Amino acid sequence: MKATTDSFLVRALIGLVFLLVNIVSVYLLLRGHNLPGGGFIGGLMTGMSFILLGLVRGWEELQRELPVPPLRLASFGLLLAMITGTAPMLFGRQFLTQYQLHLDYVPLIGEVHIGTPLLFDVGVFLLVSCITVKLVIVLARSTSGLPAFTPGEVPYYASELEGPIEETANEEDRHAN
Amino acid sequence: MCGYFLAAGPPTGAWAADFREIAMASTTITLSLVILLPVLAVPLVLALASRLGPRVGYLTAAAPLGSAGLLAWIAASAGSQPRVILEIPWVPQLGVNLSFLVDGLSIFYGFVICAIGVLVCWYAAEYLGRKYAHARFYSCLLFFMAAMLGTVFSNNLLLLFVFWELTGVASFLLIGFFHESDESRRGARQALLVTAATGLCMLVGIILLGLASGTYSLARLADGSLSDYKDVGWITASCVLLLVGAFGKSAQFPFQFWLPGAMAAPTPVSAYLHSATMVKLGVFLTGRIFPIFHSLELWFWLVCGVGFFTMLLGAFLALRSNDLKAILAYSTVSQLGFLIGAYGVGSKTGIQADTLHVLSHVLYKGSLFMTAGIVDHCTGLRDVRRLGGLGRYMPVTAFSAAIGVAALAGLPLTTGFISKELLLADLVDAKAWVWFALVVISATLTVAFAARLFFNVFTGSKPDALSVHRPGWAIQTPPLLLAMAALILGAFPGLLDGTLNAIKVAGLQEEEPIHLALWHGFNLEVLTTALIILCGGGLYLLCQKSGWKRAEIPGFLRFDVAFERGLDGLSVFSKKLTLALRADWPPAYLPIVIFFLLISLAGTVAVSSTRFFEGFSAIDISLSPLHTFVAFMIAASLVGVIVLRRWTTQLIALSVAGFFLTFYFVLYRAPDLAMTQILVESASVVMILLLLSRFPSSQLLRSEEKREAKGRIFRVILSGGVGLVMTCLVLFADRHSHPDPIGPKYLELSKPLAEGTNAVNTILVDFRGFDTLGEITVLLVATLGALGLMMRYKRGRAGNDPASAPGFFLEKKRRP
Repeated sequence: MKATTDSFLVRALIGLVFLLVNIVSVYLLLRGHNLPGGGFIGGLMTGMSFILLGLVRGWEELQRELPVPPLRLASFGLLLAMITGTAPMLFGRQFLTQYQLHLDYVPLIGEVHIGTPLLFDVGVFLLVSCITVKLVIVLARSTSGLPAFTPGEVPYYASELEGPIEETANEEDRHAN
Repeated sequence: MCGYFLAAGPPTGAWAADFREIAMASTTITLSLVILLPVLAVPLVLALASRLGPRVGYLTAAAPLGSAGLLAWIAASAGSQPRVILEIPWVPQLGVNLSFLVDGLSIFYGFVICAIGVLVCWYAAEYLGRKYAHARFYSCLLFFMAAMLGTVFSNNLLLLFVFWELTGVASFLLIGFFHESDESRRGARQALLVTAATGLCMLVGIILLGLASGTYSLARLADGSLSDYKDVGWITASCVLLLVGAFGKSAQFPFQFWLPGAMAAPTPVSAYLHSATMVKLGVFLTGRIFPIFHSLELWFWLVCGVGFFTMLLGAFLALRSNDLKAILAYSTVSQLGFLIGAYGVGSKTGIQADTLHVLSHVLYKGSLFMTAGIVDHCTGLRDVRRLGGLGRYMPVTAFSAAIGVAALAGLPLTTGFISKELLLADLVDAKAWVWFALVVISATLTVAFAARLFFNVFTGSKPDALSVHRPGWAIQTPPLLLAMAALILGAFPGLLDGTLNAIKVAGLQEEEPIHLALWHGFNLEVLTTALIILCGGGLYLLCQKSGWKRAEIPGFLRFDVAFERGLDGLSVFSKKLTLALRADWPPAYLPIVIFFLLISLAGTVAVSSTRFFEGFSAIDISLSPLHTFVAFMIAASLVGVIVLRRWTTQLIALSVAGFFLTFYFVLYRAPDLAMTQILVESASVVMILLLLSRFPSSQLLRSEEKREAKGRIFRVILSGGVGLVMTCLVLFADRHSHPDPIGPKYLELSKPLAEGTNAVNTILVDFRGFDTLGEITVLLVATLGALGLMMRYKRGRAGNDPASAPGFFLEKKRRP
């Protein structure tokens, strides 16, 4: 599969589309507690925007341009959700107790009401979006003939001691021969 | 928060009660510190390991030293016959508390763990070279120490089990420390599997015992009597299961094979795990449950039989091994058998004599393991056949080894002599002559290989091929200290009187205190010991003459090989099964899954058919045009998926169905669901499109399909059946909704409790936030697993060939 598109129009507009989609997804994330939306939906949307970017500009370039390794950010998201959950226990409250903050007036925004559930949702957002990005990049790389991982990544996912997993298939072949 | 009670009687007067409460609270804190100190030291060790290098071992030694100091304070404040129970609430609803029992036995084991821990850290600091991962090594060691301390102080059996399994995990990490070596990994895996599996048996035994007696507290169990409990059958079963746990941990027959395998660990670990700690847990547990079960008849036969048989087997195997560490490992197995078997005799002084032998074994076996490590370190060899004459190069080590070996053989002036005499006297008292004979034979074998350990390594002439460098004094001191302790306590056994009298089982043993002396008079035991030493010496000379030709372990006793073969067999079996089910070829695999799903669902419907169909006549069939239109579009696009012939068009038809499904969610006013559905649908379309180029061409697939046309009718029936059953289930669910649905409550409480107006989101992040946390964790773990699989998937020929794509059956068929 050819990873990049030749269309000039699409190439020119992808940056704008990417920006718009992400504005919407962050908006969905922020309003999730009161209106339809939330971390999962927002995260999927951001993931989709990265897929678009990869389809247009090519996966290699996308991976090069990512500022942080997606899985590191995903783990950070999980950590954030866990900390949000466990932090109240330090103050003798139940696991996952939520705290709210109400500000009557914030310049440019107005009335703001936020709570720790939003932090939790941010964790979900990060995790979902990053996992989508990572999985699609790996799949796309392996279907376009590249090795699934860059050489730098290999030690993180497999040890040198491990062999490939379908030895049985080869054994069958050997018997067939 | 600290509930407590004192077994020694009720406190007198209010003032005394207050005072006692304060003392108790501080004891609780101190004991928690004793157990937690090693863990608390871990961050410090991790932080300083790279800076200090090997010397971080000395820093690590501070943790067990501190624990030992605190323990001494507890022991001193607890009095001469301590028995204190400390409780910290944990899950009070289930009756599971962090309940600790401080008595003679636990203090004794606590001291042993701490003291040997200090020496092992010292020894390891000298033994491990610069290139090792010191941070990992010492943090695992500290983790292990904490788990051990927790186990011996546990009063609650469930708590004991938790710590017990933690020691298993920690020992797995320690044994597999050289994880690059195959042997190491195998040893670690065997140790973990055997001890964890037998540990699970133990858990079942614990639960049975708890159900039968109504308590998990060891102290209360020991105070009660078996006749009060519900069911003899349950008690017997739990006794057997608990003993299986103890046998597994202490490497008793038939589990004896894991201990020599665990010798792949670094020598300091072997010295710690196999002399002082891990394998002693089985003995400890036997000692703990001895007051509970000793009146069962089965106890005597099972414990004595397994114990003394293992003693003989271990001695025999040690005699036929050549590796220094293997000989020591099998002799450990043998001595553990002796220790466990002695509990079975169950005489009055048995528990004290046993503890004395534990101490003596700790001292000499620790020292011997360390000297073996020094020999290995200085020569690079552990094979007894190729060693010799080392006494000239390392006189201090040779001296420690000589004392250790003398104690192992039970020569006078060492602790080994005293403890063995006592245990033999017990056997004579109990008139258990069969066991007596077994012990005498094993002890004779022990003398023979003990002599070999010393004379063939340290005396004689040095083989020419052997190159030796002299060990430093620092590495030779820990074994020397242990050996000196064995010598001093052996020469003046009276020093141990106090300790032994504190390890008395209340109510079971007579009040009069025990006195140890070097010479108990001219009796049967002394005669037997003399005989054992003479025969053992003769056997050594005999074997020496024949050149240890038969020193190989016979095949039928290689349980480790059989175990490994069994493990391999399991994985071969699962591979065969996977291939037989064609898990790599969905058209063959999916019908199997769907078939069983259908059977279970249809079975449920059929079983409850009368109730199931009862409200169906009342279904009102009023259809709104919009709903009907959407349903029709979904159905039409699904028919398209079946009828169309190309991958791409099929995929488009499938996604049309998905998007129309979204429409349904909109119709039922579920915007969150609709959004999620749209996004998931788009993501999966992209993923399938990515994979599409890798699919076999539609034409190829069609020819494949034609060949399997016969199965088509079967598949049509399956699909139709699933559709029918699902329709029935939906209708049923619609007719019989729950009388008290939870949904409206969430809607009601969403604003007041979770301060959000989107109920879907408040459920996700607040009401069921714990579920979400679990789900995202699973998501991350699953992704890591998927990435690992993709990493390890072997590509066929390198490069761009679509046939080498993962997961497609055609790969196999296309190969010539």
